[in-house]
Amino acid sequence: MKNVQYYLDRFRVTEKQLDELICTALSRGGDYADLFFEYTVYQELLLRDGQVSSGGFHVDYGVGIRVLKGERTGYAYSESTEMSDMLAATAAASYIAKASSDNGRKTYGRFQTSAKNDFYPVLDDWRNNDAGRFIPVLTELEKRIFSKDSRTVKVIAKNVWSESEIMMYNSFGELTCDFRPIGNLIAAGVFIQNDRTESRTVSKSFRTGAEMLDENLVERLAVETVSGVDDMFAAIRPKGGRMPVVMGAGASGILLHEAMGHSFEADFNRKDQSVFSGMLGKKVCNSGINIVDDATIRSNRGACNYDDEGVPGQRTYLVRDGVLESYIHDRLSANSFGLPSTGNGRRESFRFYPLPRMRATYMENGQASKADIIASVKKGIYVDEFSNGQVQIGEGDFTFYVKRGYLIENGRLTAPVKDLNVIGNGPRALADITAVGNDLEIDDGSWTCGKDGQEVPVSCGMPTVLVGSLTVGGE
Amino acid sequence: MNYMKNKEIQGLITADEASVAGFCMDALLKNGASDARISLSKSTSDTVEMLNGELDKVSHSSDRAIVISVFADGKYGTFSTNMLERKEIEAFAAKAVRAVRLMEEDRDRSLPPSSRTAKDAVTGRETGLFDEKYADIDAERRFRMAENECMYGKFSKDDRYDVISEECEYSDLVEDNYLIDSAGFSGRHTESSFVLSSEMTIKSPDGKKFSGSWWESSPFIDRLDTCRCAAKALERAVRQLGPVHHEGGRLAMVVDTTVSSKLISPVISALNAFSIYQKSSFLEDSLGKKVFSAGMTLMDLPRTYGKPGARLYDSEGVATKDAPVIKCGQVCNYFINTYMSAKMNMEPTVESISRPVLLPWNCPEDNGITDADALMKICGKGILVTGFNGGNCNGVTGDFSYGIEGFAFENGEILYPVREMLITGNMSGLWNNLVAAGNDSRECRKWQIPSLAFENVDFSG
Repeated sequence: MKNVQYYLDRFRVTEKQLDELICTALSRGGDYADLFFEYTVYQELLLRDGQVSSGGFHVDYGVGIRVLKGERTGYAYSESTEMSDMLAATAAASYIAKASSDNGRKTYGRFQTSAKNDFYPVLDDWRNNDAGRFIPVLTELEKRIFSKDSRTVKVIAKNVWSESEIMMYNSFGELTCDFRPIGNLIAAGVFIQNDRTESRTVSKSFRTGAEMLDENLVERLAVETVSGVDDMFAAIRPKGGRMPVVMGAGASGILLHEAMGHSFEADFNRKDQSVFSGMLGKKVCNSGINIVDDATIRSNRGACNYDDEGVPGQRTYLVRDGVLESYIHDRLSANSFGLPSTGNGRRESFRFYPLPRMRATYMENGQASKADIIASVKKGIYVDEFSNGQVQIGEGDFTFYVKRGYLIENGRLTAPVKDLNVIGNGPRALADITAVGNDLEIDDGSWTCGKDGQEVPVSCGMPTVLVGSLTVGGE
Repeated sequence: MNYMKNKEIQGLITADEASVAGFCMDALLKNGASDARISLSKSTSDTVEMLNGELDKVSHSSDRAIVISVFADGKYGTFSTNMLERKEIEAFAAKAVRAVRLMEEDRDRSLPPSSRTAKDAVTGRETGLFDEKYADIDAERRFRMAENECMYGKFSKDDRYDVISEECEYSDLVEDNYLIDSAGFSGRHTESSFVLSSEMTIKSPDGKKFSGSWWESSPFIDRLDTCRCAAKALERAVRQLGPVHHEGGRLAMVVDTTVSSKLISPVISALNAFSIYQKSSFLEDSLGKKVFSAGMTLMDLPRTYGKPGARLYDSEGVATKDAPVIKCGQVCNYFINTYMSAKMNMEPTVESISRPVLLPWNCPEDNGITDADALMKICGKGILVTGFNGGNCNGVTGDFSYGIEGFAFENGEILYPVREMLITGNMSGLWNNLVAAGNDSRECRKWQIPSLAFENVDFSG
């Protein structure tokens, strides 16, 4: 783990200069200020037509400066850490204080930054390897996909990784540094059978070093890329309408993310815009259901040693035993509610101010078996692969797109289905979860959450659950 | 190219910054690149956000980045950095060439020939999208622009709802791009944009919340339609009050121009040569064939002066031109860049669409503007779609399923709002069921897609 001096040198600043910037930021009457320094290297390699003939690296460097006045935010950034450039950005951010009358609380929470969280240890630093280390991995992945299914006509394999060095400093004097790796291995196969074409993309992502690219991962990805291809060619479009939906273990966590998670984000609740505003402490679903947002899962894509406000990563119960226990807070929203931050202040990069964002969001295990849950449904669908979730915060209406599933008829999985959208209402769907399985899985796909133009890596998980009634697209 | 007078305008590339691109080119060639393309981009943006009539957030951003495409020993790579000091650029260029040499050979990679690149993008102002008045806008004016949009506290009492929150925003942006390649191409594109927006959240007496939003934008601040976003946003929230469950069925669908581009987007993606080459396009083998309704004519009109979306060159520097993409349902063009042209042995076109314009069709002759209201009258009964909520289109098959919100209508008149509904179908089938395309595209949008009417659409409710 690199020490503070390493980060100061990386960003070409001294601790004295950090204090000077904070003083300038607060000089117009701001209540709180913070600095977010970032150096990120991002690299991608792409295999296509059997060759790794395209790739590159990208460097991003800069500092974001935020000033809070009550519940108001001023923000600016500089791509240079020359003191004159940073001071100019600081002046722009401090405008918020000049223009604002006083409002709201101004505590923002102090945190023990001496905590040495290490949720993503790195054994093999990506930057210590060149493309020569990764090209054989992509080649082998392609070879295995072709060998596992004779209908394969095209394979794209991709390795994308990034490493970010982050240094944060605020007007409480809290100085926090973090090193954040993230690696992705992605495979896309195109398959042809009797003049019909289908495609399938699978990804795995971890906060880890290059050690993730081992034999097991390559085999797992190859197997998953070709799994279900028969069903894709056999899939039908069912008759649409309202019906029971069994959400398979793992990626079904998208239900929590879209239907509940976003509506639990406290910036929406601070403004009374969320469908869950005013529901803290109230029963929102059946007893026994626990929903967690967790920064502490080792090497997980949603893990955070610290959030982007320097608050230590933690495990937060959002719903415990069916009762809404906590919203998802950054320092600003926590200040508004008079609570400590839950460590969810996250941002895409130094170009953005932090917002309350999810990390790894999942439901804890229940008692039922997957088989019993499916058997309990006379007519409905079972779904286990998704993309493109979305929610309307005020109304609570959410959707997610089903890439793979099956009809359930008389308690049995029958015809495969795909390319269906499912729509529901968050509070109603949460209250309508009538069975929770005992098979929790955290999905390791490359989940990315978008909000207000910012994308952050997240993950999700779920045991098998039964939602009594959702609207399913169909013909 | 004269950069001197730009020095005082934030967001515009200065002569010194432009020289960094040349310096980077020299460094790449010195390190062994056979060819290179360098894109230097700079932008500045300011945003003022109001919450319930009071200032909530101000933000200022200023970006510079250099993106390079490197060709060396028959190999290729792309790289970028925002660390533009010459010492950094020198090291960056050397490292990039080393990284390219680790790739596998691909002889189909090359720069476009200079006969295809634009010659008329010299000052960046040729598209007529830059407002010289941008330089005069200060923080106080930005604040006033945002403040003037606010209606909070000025609403007349209405028993049907309470206003929960009003968010209004003003933002301006200047983007400047300077693109050069080692074959001698040099191009510049400069544009400004000014945006006002509002989002209103209301609550009905039974506690249900509804939100509505509206935005206005223009490349020129004086042409911005001001002081109407909040009222429009409120109107769009209020009209959603009292949604009624709709069972769905096979119905006519009218899609409002504010959201209709959602339905053309998968078609445009499917015309991209890369998708076709990867066998991931439902429009593979469609060139020259009539695959959509005879009423569907989609143009790419990038050379319309002063209109959002106009540009003189694509990301390779290739000169754009006004051309039909789909004419009377027949596919006229794929989007084929230099690389895909070599891979597919097809004539190159441009890398991507710039300014899609869907032409009107089947509009009532005695009506000046054919909008969603007029299309509802044509259709008689069905669902008016005013928003999409998630969903996707499978690019390989064209199968789609989208969440929608909107209104049921009969006899051309709106009956009630609908929620939690889905449409499901196939893109080819949908566009073959086009009944009419209006002429009400919003001037401020890059994608000029009017309100549309389709028949026989599957709705689930």
